[in-house]
Amino acid sequence: MIQLDYFLLLSAFMFIVGTIGVLTRRNAIVVFMSIELMLNSANLTFVAYSSFFGDVVGQLFVFFVMAVAAAEVAVGLAIIIAIFRNKLTVNIDEINILKW
Amino acid sequence: MELAEILFLAFASIAVVTAIFTVISRSPVISALFLVINFGALSGLYLLLSAQFLSVVQVIVYAGAIMVLFLFVLMLLRPEKEDKYFVVNRKMKIFAVIVGLFLFGQLAFAIFASDIGQTVSIESSRSEQIGKIAYIGENLYTTYLFPFEAIAFVLLVATIGAIVISKKKLD
Amino acid sequence: MLENYIPIFIVFTFAMVFALLTVFSSEIIGPKRPSKEKLSPYESGMKPIGTAEERVSIKYYLVAMLFIIFDLEVIFIYPWAVKFKELYHGSAVTPAIGLPVFVSMLIFLVVFELGFLYAYKKGAFRWD
Repeated sequence: MIQLDYFLLLSAFMFIVGTIGVLTRRNAIVVFMSIELMLNSANLTFVAYSSFFGDVVGQLFVFFVMAVAAAEVAVGLAIIIAIFRNKLTVNIDEINILKW
Repeated sequence: MELAEILFLAFASIAVVTAIFTVISRSPVISALFLVINFGALSGLYLLLSAQFLSVVQVIVYAGAIMVLFLFVLMLLRPEKEDKYFVVNRKMKIFAVIVGLFLFGQLAFAIFASDIGQTVSIESSRSEQIGKIAYIGENLYTTYLFPFEAIAFVLLVATIGAIVISKKKLD
Repeated sequence: MLENYIPIFIVFTFAMVFALLTVFSSEIIGPKRPSKEKLSPYESGMKPIGTAEERVSIKYYLVAMLFIIFDLEVIFIYPWAVKFKELYHGSAVTPAIGLPVFVSMLIFLVVFELGFLYAYKKGAFRWD
């Protein structure tokens, strides 16, 4: 029988892979993709809990998370495009004008 | 082994492998394609959890729409040289792996320390019922009506914001 | 429940195998006699200019972005459409709600279409 633990561990692992991606990759778009990976791992946790406990709220929440993720991607990629237009790069090491 | 266990192992291993390749592959386009496979595997896992509607939505929204946008932007912003993204920053990599292992250990400890994962077992008749589109609709348009209307505003702002930010000239 | 999805799984596997087979069988079975002219990319008989990795225009981004938003709108309509009759007239488990079910979706759609109206006014749909 599949236990809840397996889903949680899988989700934790995917979250960690996403974290490592955010920390190591320099391409802003790949960093963004890693963030999507982390969001999806959180979604997996929600759905696992929802169906193991027989409560629909988790699935509804995932539904809303997906909508918000789509909005976030639309705006975030627009920001990356705007940055690229100004600095001709998407390397996050070179986008450092806010650095002190 | 049951069918469900075999499918879980298959989908979970696909998800793990593609997640790792998303992060380590050199070309961002390859990363994006691996991420699409990862989303497909997640959709299969949702199906195993009998969240049928979400499984389909995952494919339509994530694999179908969001990744298309990612690929468009990757094509749009092809920087001159991709090599300079791979300046070896060994310190950062080691630091990231250490942080990752530490976090994973913490999460795994939390998961195993609480015995909820072993005691709770899936009640298939109930979880099949709540995964259905009709049950989700029933709850979404009665109890959770306000968040549903709020999402409309979030997406409206996202549309306007994305157009304003990405348009070249503002007139 | 998983049994219901076996036909979908079979169709999916069949499509995948068929696609891979058609692509790779020609690669494996077909004769290959490569020459310089054959390997060069074909651009209407002209000499190829630049690389295949051209940048695409910003318009594609706007179209893809509007597609995502539209996609989500449709996704939110599905559960509503499935449940509309029951919520409107009431059933054994749910009380009749009546017109508010319709009005709530109407508000959602109107708010949504404001975004598209803005995109239209801003010329996001204009292609040239």
